[in-house]
Amino acid sequence: MKISMNWISRYAPITVSPAEYESRMIMCGTGVEGVEYLGAECENVVVGRVLTCRDHENSDHLHVCTVDVGAAEPLQIVCGAPNVKEGILVPVALVGAKLPGGHEIKKGKLRGVESCGMLCSGPEIGVPVELYPSVGDAGLLVFNEEYALGTDVRTIFGLDDYVADFEILANRPDCLCAWGIARETSAALDTPLTLPEISVKYAGGNIRDHVSVRVDDYSRCPRYASRVIKNVRVAPSPMWLRQVLHAAGMRSINNIVDITNFVMLETGHPMHAFDLDKVRGRQIIVRTAHEGETLRTLDGKDHQLQPTDLLICDAEGPTGLAGIMGGEESEITDATTEVMFECATFDRAMIRVSARRMGIRTESSGRYERGVSEKTIMKALDRACQLINELDAGDVVEGNYDYYEKLEAPKPITCSVRRIATRTGVNITADEMVEALNKLCFENVSVDGDVLTVTAPDYRQDIEGEADICEEVLRMAGYDRIPSTRLRGESTQGGMNPWMARKERLRKLLSGFGYDEMMTYSFVSKKSIAALGLDESDPRMQPLMLRNPLGEDTSCMRTTLAPDMMRILAGNYNQGNAVAMLYEFGTLFDATRRTAEGLVTESPALCVGAYGSGIDFYTVRGVAEAICAYEGVDVKVVAGGDPYYHPGRCARLMHGDTCIAALGQIHPDRAAALDLPEQTVLAEIDMTALYAAAQPMGQVSPISRMQAVSRDIALVLPESQQLGPVMDTIRAAAGPMLEDVKLFDIFRGLQVGPGLKSCAFSLTFRSADKTLTEDDLAPVMKKVLKQTGDSYGAVIRG
Amino acid sequence: MSIKENIEAIRAELEAELEKAENGKLVEELRQKVLGRKGTLTALRRMLGGLSAEERPAMGQLINEGCEKIGALLDARLEKLQALEREQKLKSETIDVTEPRELPRVGVPHPTTLALQEVVSALTGLGFDIVEGPEIELDHFNFELLNIPKNHPARDAQDTFYVDDNIVLRTHTSPVQARTMLSRKPPIRIACPGRVYRADEVDATHSPVFHQIEGLVIDKDVTMGDLKGTLDALFKKLYGDDVETRFRPSFSPFTEPSAEVDLTCISCRGKGCRMCKGTGWIEVLGCGMVNPKVLEMCGIDPHEYSGFAFGIGLERITMLRYGIKDMRLLYEGDERFLRQFR
Repeated sequence: MKISMNWISRYAPITVSPAEYESRMIMCGTGVEGVEYLGAECENVVVGRVLTCRDHENSDHLHVCTVDVGAAEPLQIVCGAPNVKEGILVPVALVGAKLPGGHEIKKGKLRGVESCGMLCSGPEIGVPVELYPSVGDAGLLVFNEEYALGTDVRTIFGLDDYVADFEILANRPDCLCAWGIARETSAALDTPLTLPEISVKYAGGNIRDHVSVRVDDYSRCPRYASRVIKNVRVAPSPMWLRQVLHAAGMRSINNIVDITNFVMLETGHPMHAFDLDKVRGRQIIVRTAHEGETLRTLDGKDHQLQPTDLLICDAEGPTGLAGIMGGEESEITDATTEVMFECATFDRAMIRVSARRMGIRTESSGRYERGVSEKTIMKALDRACQLINELDAGDVVEGNYDYYEKLEAPKPITCSVRRIATRTGVNITADEMVEALNKLCFENVSVDGDVLTVTAPDYRQDIEGEADICEEVLRMAGYDRIPSTRLRGESTQGGMNPWMARKERLRKLLSGFGYDEMMTYSFVSKKSIAALGLDESDPRMQPLMLRNPLGEDTSCMRTTLAPDMMRILAGNYNQGNAVAMLYEFGTLFDATRRTAEGLVTESPALCVGAYGSGIDFYTVRGVAEAICAYEGVDVKVVAGGDPYYHPGRCARLMHGDTCIAALGQIHPDRAAALDLPEQTVLAEIDMTALYAAAQPMGQVSPISRMQAVSRDIALVLPESQQLGPVMDTIRAAAGPMLEDVKLFDIFRGLQVGPGLKSCAFSLTFRSADKTLTEDDLAPVMKKVLKQTGDSYGAVIRG
Repeated sequence: MSIKENIEAIRAELEAELEKAENGKLVEELRQKVLGRKGTLTALRRMLGGLSAEERPAMGQLINEGCEKIGALLDARLEKLQALEREQKLKSETIDVTEPRELPRVGVPHPTTLALQEVVSALTGLGFDIVEGPEIELDHFNFELLNIPKNHPARDAQDTFYVDDNIVLRTHTSPVQARTMLSRKPPIRIACPGRVYRADEVDATHSPVFHQIEGLVIDKDVTMGDLKGTLDALFKKLYGDDVETRFRPSFSPFTEPSAEVDLTCISCRGKGCRMCKGTGWIEVLGCGMVNPKVLEMCGIDPHEYSGFAFGIGLERITMLRYGIKDMRLLYEGDERFLRQFR
């Protein structure tokens, strides 16, 4: 919200520099986004009189003028404006002047004639026609009044002023106006506050003879007030009014409309002016819309109304959306003779819902959404009438309409001085509290022992209790007085929760394996899930959809981390990164299983993905198995997996009947579709299952000091025989003396025979209490051979 | 020529020949030539039989001494040759120690995780318990219990993703605070990290998904000074003892009084630079004293207890800490970006 500092100063003098003002206001709780000098683009422009004006000898439209700018010598200036002539008083940009758009005036020659400056139009010095009525673009701005030659024109247009851009907090709608800012300024700078005394001169008559008003719904329109102006004299507004509007970024229209806008900027109350001759039946009805009713708003759009929308109607039907946008018919024109000023409050939630549904946002709806006080309505309405008097823009008819169901009486708030001081941690005395509250115009401030009693001013709707009073007191005392103290009281242990601690453990492990952590959004597109080719009945195919997603790509909550991992790997490959080794922790959302509260089931998951030289199925299986081993979970590798994996190169790590991880090389078709290298591998780890099976580290076993003995065997097996089960059989047959068994070679070739492979295993045996001999091992090795022979047809390679 | 002269001659000849022997085999041949069965010195020993019984012991001793001396000469030469050989072998094994090789690959946590780890370690050190909660929440916990009723304009500031009328993607981790207050008795000292969601279009400083960590302390006579003290301790731990915090009045429905907190610019240490736009301060978080209405709604007596809460945007802290200009980098998973962290 932009407000002129000169204007604020009329109510509360700003006695410090703009920069100091900005910081003082910020520290007292009023945000300032910046302060801007209005005349920055109108520098070195003065009032001058055209003394002589002759045609330029080398041009059919240029003139050569001599101009008196109050200096010893007149200036020679070449001017091309059609309206230049002897005797006129115009703005003159001197050599060195700075104008809008970074334009700088230099001494120069125009078709051979020296020119020392520029005679200016309004737009050339940033003065729109509504700020100073003149010919606009069509020619020079010609002053209508006399000004001393050499006067800086900024003083004439009100540009010698700073505009502060205030950022008002959501709980302080009362500050969305000049009076509100003036009140905060007075409190922050400790300067006196002088708001206008309001008094209205009436010209007799009775409002009831001019218009009738009815309010049907007080829950949506808690208060509605109006006054009537007769003998309206529509005219341009005076300069001071135009300047205030200009500084606030508003256009001057005419005196009546300008008064409503000015009062809104001054008091924060949106106002509306109706041309009473155009109000059919001279009747205003405030009611909710009927089912099926439609309305065309001022912007020419048709709206389908709902019974929750509030309308301003005349005798024949709706003319405007209450608090949002008026109707075209009752607009003020030069022909207007009678005006009704409306000042009302509307339910903020209702305004918000209606305005949003219809996609309209106006200055008025914005203010109503943030909250407008019921209690200060009449003040605003009377202020508008006072301005009618002052501008002689019409005659105020006696009487008013003021409809409301009930107005809450101001409630005194009682607080504890001790509690306030304790809460802030600042040693604020009761006297200081009283002083602070008085500065902020709180009423009936009194202290009795520990009890502080106070009534909030009628415009402060945000003050509800002690905590609010505490904030008021503290911001006046200064937030910089808050000390830095240590937490006291009962000590708490503090620490990570189990899931965070688990993720930390896995991060260390994965870092050690060379994997980097990545993060992606929790949203995916339905398309990317569909691309996985899962069965329709799979819960992953029924993700939770958002009602208002940013787009299709982010329309549902992810049920699997695989699509994001593949997308990121593809992105890396596309960027030419030779290796990518990544992992992500993410929450999976299962909309098919709801909690007791009705929320979707959320479960933590880990996805590992990689491509690059030397990376294959076994790399990622190793990572997943190592994670299981690290958490003490026994798993078996079982071939098979989801359709986005290579059917012959995927597996699950099973702990009993529970799947802990699904992993494999991604399907070549997926790899091709995503432009990924063929050897791209993934592992998806179900963290809930993993940690349900996890065994904490127990007691260590003693280590044997006896010699280890090893035996190698080569078994010839059918090519199709999986070696995992063979290893399991060897382990079981070798019994407790077996310390370790390793596969160290697979040989295929003529010597072995077609369709066969020779697999060499190295078995290491050790006993706790003796050195093993051939006598100990021979029966064990015999058993190993027999059992592998029986189970798999394994033959020892001779 | 006496035996003595003979020994001397043999020794001198051997010495000369040893000088020329360039490997162990030649030295062994010389050993045979002098000390072997048919060796020159062995031949002298045979001559002892022709000497008188008086001369024999002295001469015998001379020969023995000669044998020893010559043996030592041979051994010394052999050892020297072996040392040379070892030296040469080592020399031949020299490698180019500057030859480029692939480094062992060390993985790194995500930068946001690194920032989270720092904050968590500082807060757990101050006695905070880490608590997590659901990312998809009931409107009741995300808004209503936090004093943000339906159609309240404060909801505008946090454009919300809705699942239905009652379920939202949480817009902050505060619902975890509400849940904790409802389930635990004071004293409460918790920090709630996690993912939060706002319907913001993606750009350099906005993301529809980001991370927060919020702190909550509820106890008897907790003051705003304790809040400042806690944040001071946190930021000094994160950024060094010379940083300070500055509180400015602000608004949040959840807290009263509320404050916006500025931190000494960690880039210029308060001198003023581009990052802090010359002010020496950077805005880092919002905080305040928990609104008594919130305490009451969560079943805590506001007359007996007070508390404070603060919320930190982890991406903001991460971006400040590492000088990251574009938030999108955090979510693109590009190895060239990720692998810069440690």
